[in-house]
Amino acid sequence: MQPTSSMNEEFLKKWQMGLQIVRPSIDNTSVSERKKAIKLSADIAMASLRKGTTCWSRALIQKTATEDNFLVRQMLSGIKEEALINKRLPKKVVCHRKIVRRSKKILRRKTKSACEEAAAKAKKLVKRRTQGLRNVVPGGDLMSNDVLLLQETLDYIMSLQTQVNVMRSIVDAAEAGTEQ
Amino acid sequence: MKMNGGAIEADLLLNCTDMSVLERQRAHLKYLNPGFDSPLAGFFSGSSVIDGGVIDGFLGTDGLNLPMIYGENTVEGDPRLSISPETMTGTRNFKKRKFDTETKDCDGKKKMMMNRHEEEVEEEEKSKITEQNNGSTKSIKKMKNKAKKEENSCSNDSSKVTKELQKTDYIHVRARRGQATDSHSIAERVRREKISERMKFLQDLVPGCDKITGKAGMLDEIINYVQSLQRQIEFLSMKLAVVNPRPDFDIDDIFAKEVASTPMTVVPSPEMVNSGYSHEMVNSGYSNEMASSGYLHFNPMQQVDTTTSDPLSCFNNGQAPSMWDSHVQNLYGSL
Repeated sequence: MQPTSSMNEEFLKKWQMGLQIVRPSIDNTSVSERKKAIKLSADIAMASLRKGTTCWSRALIQKTATEDNFLVRQMLSGIKEEALINKRLPKKVVCHRKIVRRSKKILRRKTKSACEEAAAKAKKLVKRRTQGLRNVVPGGDLMSNDVLLLQETLDYIMSLQTQVNVMRSIVDAAEAGTEQ
Repeated sequence: MKMNGGAIEADLLLNCTDMSVLERQRAHLKYLNPGFDSPLAGFFSGSSVIDGGVIDGFLGTDGLNLPMIYGENTVEGDPRLSISPETMTGTRNFKKRKFDTETKDCDGKKKMMMNRHEEEVEEEEKSKITEQNNGSTKSIKKMKNKAKKEENSCSNDSSKVTKELQKTDYIHVRARRGQATDSHSIAERVRREKISERMKFLQDLVPGCDKITGKAGMLDEIINYVQSLQRQIEFLSMKLAVVNPRPDFDIDDIFAKEVASTPMTVVPSPEMVNSGYSHEMVNSGYSNEMASSGYLHFNPMQQVDTTTSDPLSCFNNGQAPSMWDSHVQNLYGSL
């Protein structure tokens, strides 16, 4: 399923609001500052659309709050989402490396048949990839099981597609405008 | 209306023979909680209505209502809106309900298998109220095989044969042919089915994933895709920062050009100004209407007040397509 146009519009609306908030402070600043402000406001707009129902949106809002607290508060003010900033996220899933390594050594000694080895290798690959996915998706470390991770990834991909579509159209239109 | 539809869909799901364990669970839940609304509903379709029995089954993730019924606290410290604790407790609670049926008589169970679906549901509700946690997992198998037997009797399909392992006074254990009755394997099977279901959706979303089979390859593609999207966003925001000196200047500019390119003039309608976009957008009232009309025109799927859009949509149809039009069409026309 592709992002719908209603999602595009909602995102654009929120993003515009964010840009208006940011506008007075970055009128004459450098390109990188502007870019950062644009990107942050877009991120917050995207995350606020979910209204706190998904884990990645909350993690993203928290992450941007560390970079630009003022903007986050302004954009989410008046809605219950402001409480999301202060809400405690679930604890990160931490594995102690020593223990994991020791248990792997023991396991390696036990299973030696060929087909089991192949299955174990495949499982290892999958595990490595899921860890990579956790690194990419915001708040991935906080999701305890794989099912939730995939669900959040789905939602996150849709929001990213919305964001990219809207931004690309605006960039194209702006470029066309300047060319004329 | 919605409740009837849910019940019918649940019935359809139960009567089809090729149902997985997971779908049967969901169908049971759907039948029991017909007015059930999932927070994941927003994820799939924004404001539009969700259709289709299968998608409903997916979105009705296990027992998001059930924690309320059992009064159980969610595991992680986030009771309100998080998905993971609820799904976890949901599956646990669902198993609880199935444990309760173990205490019933075996003859009673046999009778239930012959009876219609409603009675089975009543029994489940009764067991919900008693709320005992006996801890044996063979009853899960029993419930699932009951549903299967139901399907068999309804559809006269003898291909799925249930094998009885033991007949005691207390526990009826029936296993699907060639499958273990272990609680762990059942739980694992459910988990695997959930994961494969979500992978299927991801396959639809990520372009170029049709040919790839297997979890590792799919995950690789997904990671690459997410990273590429993130890089695109960075690049586009950089481009935006370069192209215009002020962040929201482009919108004004674009709409001004749109206004300039059109020969016709439109009487501003008061309803447009009051639409949701007016607050954030632009100073001039006319640009407001252009913005809203742009959205309204290029979005045939969205449910909008047609009364306000009618005087302007014909105007938009008549004009020659400008650059902005084509870009907005790309923005809103693809579905």
